[in-house]
Amino acid sequence: NDTETSLLEKNLHQNLAKSYLLSHDDAIWTAAWGKSEADGTETIVTGSLDDMVKVWKWSDEKLELQWTLEGHQLGVVSVDISHNGAIAASSSLDAHIRLWDLESGKQIKSMDAGPVDAWTVAFSPDSKHIATGSHLGKVNIFGVESGKKEYSLDTRGKFILSIAYSPDGKYLASGAIDGIINIFDIATGKLLHTLEGHAMPIRSLTFSPDSQLLVTASDDGYIKIYDVQHANLAGTLSGHGSWVLNVAFSPDDTHFVSSSSDKSVKVWDASSRACINTFFDHQDQVWSVKYNSTGSKIISAGDDRAIHIYDCPM
Amino acid sequence: MASFGWKRKAGEKVSKSVVQQFEAQDDAGGHNEDVNWLHAIKRRKEVLLEDCAEKSKRLKEEGSQLAEQGRHWEAIKKWDEAIQLTPENPLLYEMKSQVLTVLQEVFPAVQAAEMAVKLRPVWWEGWQTLGRAQLNLGEVDLALRSFQVAIHLCPSERTLWQEDLEWARRLQKQELATKEKTRQEEETKSQILKAPELEQDYDFESDEVLAACVAVAERQNRYEELKRTAVVMDSEGNIKNIVTEDGGSEDTAAPSKEQFVKARRL
Repeated sequence: NDTETSLLEKNLHQNLAKSYLLSHDDAIWTAAWGKSEADGTETIVTGSLDDMVKVWKWSDEKLELQWTLEGHQLGVVSVDISHNGAIAASSSLDAHIRLWDLESGKQIKSMDAGPVDAWTVAFSPDSKHIATGSHLGKVNIFGVESGKKEYSLDTRGKFILSIAYSPDGKYLASGAIDGIINIFDIATGKLLHTLEGHAMPIRSLTFSPDSQLLVTASDDGYIKIYDVQHANLAGTLSGHGSWVLNVAFSPDDTHFVSSSSDKSVKVWDASSRACINTFFDHQDQVWSVKYNSTGSKIISAGDDRAIHIYDCPM
Repeated sequence: MASFGWKRKAGEKVSKSVVQQFEAQDDAGGHNEDVNWLHAIKRRKEVLLEDCAEKSKRLKEEGSQLAEQGRHWEAIKKWDEAIQLTPENPLLYEMKSQVLTVLQEVFPAVQAAEMAVKLRPVWWEGWQTLGRAQLNLGEVDLALRSFQVAIHLCPSERTLWQEDLEWARRLQKQELATKEKTRQEEETKSQILKAPELEQDYDFESDEVLAACVAVAERQNRYEELKRTAVVMDSEGNIKNIVTEDGGSEDTAAPSKEQFVKARRL
């Protein structure tokens, strides 16, 4: 097993990251990687403090700018791509959630979420809804078709920084600024578990592709892994020297990746829970990290305005 | 074999018994003493560092007390001393920036706050103070950016949304409106000087000249009207052009200053 790990490490080291410096005019706060169901093309969407949402095509191992989407009046906090790869959602400090057609680069809808009520946006697995957290601890669910708030789930807690749907569509997890994790049953709208996960803000959480595990990232520098069904803590991972800002699970269930204020990106083995590689390509905080649809690539973006794309051995 | 060197020579002056005694002692406690010495040096260093931190903390508190009493320059002196002892402490720069802002030392205030966020980029309060200092300097766009960074780090902080971001956005809106008005003024002025009606042909038929004169007069009126108005913002943040008493282009700058004093009072 040791030789396997070291071999993997060697492979990771040999593959250099592709770097796209100065991709935006200011810090990049968020990125998403999607794949079109219609034609199989891969799209990357980034959002920045420069108020812009940019749409990039990833083809032939190259990143090309397709659209620069103007509309937000302030910095873009979060972006997500619908599961069929047709629509992007973005949220901004201007309190609006906007939906964009990725094919035409046109805005489909602009929804006023109310002041301070648009943070992380996440498409539901059927892409009919978008969930976002609010400052009063409510998870607001907007209809993609209606463009309106349809219902909300109340955590009775603090400001919700992070949101994630389980891929099987059963659960929705939220992470709050005071470190509390809530897991809802979507079908009944009931709050299933409240976990006192971290004592500090949880800026990101993600389910494993089989919906069995929940991985959380916090300002306390730790990553925690929970068994969703029993709400048990399955592991606490340390390694980052500062806030952990983002986590993402690889689609093949074997790895997950994290990014941090310590300027690094770390790849973790899901079964051994060991860090198998660390990338130091960024010059500043790394706000966002995501896998592509197969898990063969990782994208990271951050305060240094750079986008890096790394190869992952399968 | 003949041996020489300063060790042997030094030993010649002490009696054999003393040397033997000394060596015996050395054998017994030599190793431990070695370690003790290293520890002692380390400890001295720690004490020195502790001393600096302690002293800096004391100076920081003394400065805070002075600042509370309104003795701002004395507070800054204390904090500068503290910065000498602990140059990596962002808190000192941030507090210094706040007091410099009170003293209307606008540029040094920005510099101090910039140092604070450089030392600790994930500290939202540092960004808030930087934004406020930048606003004081009239750098509305930079201030808006700093407030956004602060909110991104700590979105649950209501004052950032309701006061800082709100004010910076209003000022930016006003700045844009003022710029737009200046542009309009200039455009109208340039049209008075070279009326397009008179440039087209030069046969000077009386009706054409008359029409051109009327057009020029109209523009003159419009220009004067523009000069007499100033861009102001009401309490809801709506931008209006209102007629001022004595006109004059210097007036357009005045409202933004008044707005600013309000911002500081918040």
